[in-house]
Amino acid sequence: MKVFIYPTNSLILSDLVERFGHEPLAVMQEISKRVSNPGLDSPPMNITPEDPKIGLKYAAVEVPSGVRGRMALNGPLISKAEAAIIVRDPVVSFGCMGCARTNELVNFLIRAKKIPILDLDYPSSEEEAKEFVFKISQFLKSLGQGEKK
Amino acid sequence: MNSSENLVRIAQLSCGAEYSGIQAEIDSAAKQVNAVIVYPEIDIKDIENIEEEFGLKVASSDLKLLMARAKSIVTGKVHVDAVFVATCFRCAEAAIVRSEVRRYIHEKTGIPVISYSFTERTTAGTLLTRMEALTTTARRKSLLAREKQSGLTAGIDSGSTTTKAVIMKDNKIIGKGWVPTIKVLESAEEAYNAALKEAGVKREEIQALGTTGYGRFLVGDHLKADLIQEEITVNSKGAVYLADKQKGPATVLDIGGMDNKAISVMDGIPGMFTMGGICAGASGRFLEMTAKRLGVGITELGALAMKGKQEDVKMNSYCIVFGIQSLVNSLAAGSTPEDVAAAACHSVAEQLFEQQLQEIDVKEPVIMCGGTSLIEGLPKAVEELLKVKVIVPDNAQYIGAVGAALLVSGFIRPRI
Amino acid sequence: MDNITKMMVINSSKVLPSDVVIKLYESNSDVMIKETCFGVMVSGERAVVDKLLSETRKMDPYGIFIKERGFAPGEPNRCRATRRGGARPGFHMLETEERILPQIAEGLRALDKGEIPRQKMKKKKLELEKLKEIIEKAEVS
Repeated sequence: MKVFIYPTNSLILSDLVERFGHEPLAVMQEISKRVSNPGLDSPPMNITPEDPKIGLKYAAVEVPSGVRGRMALNGPLISKAEAAIIVRDPVVSFGCMGCARTNELVNFLIRAKKIPILDLDYPSSEEEAKEFVFKISQFLKSLGQGEKK
Repeated sequence: MNSSENLVRIAQLSCGAEYSGIQAEIDSAAKQVNAVIVYPEIDIKDIENIEEEFGLKVASSDLKLLMARAKSIVTGKVHVDAVFVATCFRCAEAAIVRSEVRRYIHEKTGIPVISYSFTERTTAGTLLTRMEALTTTARRKSLLAREKQSGLTAGIDSGSTTTKAVIMKDNKIIGKGWVPTIKVLESAEEAYNAALKEAGVKREEIQALGTTGYGRFLVGDHLKADLIQEEITVNSKGAVYLADKQKGPATVLDIGGMDNKAISVMDGIPGMFTMGGICAGASGRFLEMTAKRLGVGITELGALAMKGKQEDVKMNSYCIVFGIQSLVNSLAAGSTPEDVAAAACHSVAEQLFEQQLQEIDVKEPVIMCGGTSLIEGLPKAVEELLKVKVIVPDNAQYIGAVGAALLVSGFIRPRI
Repeated sequence: MDNITKMMVINSSKVLPSDVVIKLYESNSDVMIKETCFGVMVSGERAVVDKLLSETRKMDPYGIFIKERGFAPGEPNRCRATRRGGARPGFHMLETEERILPQIAEGLRALDKGEIPRQKMKKKKLELEKLKEIIEKAEVS
């Protein structure tokens, strides 16, 4: 299954989803598409002024351009998502996850999809990390084999 | 432009620039003024502690990163010549951070800072004037510290509507010239000659000449100017000089014939500004049209407005087409010319507020300059709208030319 | 063709990034390999990279973590050298996550051993009555 992860650029979530046989939907894939597009300027910039316009699908023009540009990356992932793992309080998250307003909107849209969602707290001890890994493995198992590649 | 001058290292402190798709525009604008963009190095621990240290809690972590990078500059961990603080337009959280970071760097280091709020439509062209002002401040710090004019110098402000020239000697204006801009070079010659004539000096006696305004390059090349400078730096300096408010914060409002500027100034150096030109309803042109409709000269409109009450005229639009129509209708319905003049001033003031002041903190003193500041009704309307006292210095319409003459006196070389 | 870049973040007491690099080269796969400060980056066709990396991970399943990367290795817009100092924002994210990798590794080990962890009790807010009691006691003393 295609599993949306939040933070969308998380190494740990991306790794665990793949390890347990599902496909992580991570923002890096969207960036990769933009970077490898030969039509863009050189050196390649991953986002062009067109992206915030694509983002108008998710938020009106009164919403800052940075939010809409980030939504142009996140939106396609949300629409592909068949399940989601959400870490409620990631300690720090930068770059694609650096804007709090975007993150609120992403969170809302993924919840509005009514797909299976696992909510987790960021682990702060070994015990909590064990629970964190265990819950993720159980959740992914419950999704079935999906379309493991 | 400036390509022969020293390379300037500009630290970029931003949130959302890349995601708005404008990073390439920032890089390109920096390149055009022979500057490079630098991202200050930080440690992950700096980010974790920055909210406590800076005293500002924010939800977006890229803003924490921005503050941590600012701290890295202040503590001297990284060396830069100038700082560009930029965040998304309409983000309230970022606007607070932007303004506080700008103040923090200015107070702790004195490194020049320019801040800007962008959208996806921001282009290198828009950023260029800002980068030019920023690199000028970095390269010519000692020049900008100049608070008095010395020697015999001239300044020419080649604006889009009018061309102004002044001659200054020993910190006094001794000659002025003011002509409508028709052909850039001819109008500059005309204004310059008028100023020289009034001053009673010959062109050869002038020790240094500075140019500013739209036609600055053309006029500057033609007259072999010693200083060719964009109007933001020059007008900031000119305004605080004329108003005698050289130290501390100030806000400069310059409503021109076709173009407006709102500049937030600190110690005579511009920090944040907006330049208009989108709407004729926010310009002197609106007042010119009103004066024509009332059958009075533009110089009489101000006195007329002072006697009127804007509340008695209903305006449906700020637009130069529909707004003027409203005024005409009011006249037909029995409004007095005084009330209509006052309403026109109020309309321009409100449009200034809507269009220009969105990104600028209005810190007192508020100095108004440019030709329109002489239409008394307009500064009065701005005072009422912003709830501040507005200063209109003497010779407010010559702000650019005075600024240029003042700054260029730093270029006087002993002549053999 | 779907060309991708994946990064292997290595936080292991058993293998070093250089060991992983040697292993990758030995595979003779048609990929580009770059050793970095946090591990290794591998670029190539998706199927090839995926297969090679899941094989390589077996060197230390609890010490090697994998994620995809948007930019190719050495991309000037992301490289510290061309940015004159500061890292790209994503690097700090990686730095933060890297710190809890040992705990996540413990979690994986426990899972493989079949351990079922204790569920954490949610902290509840103090009931109003209880708080009132405490305040009253404090006032008396």
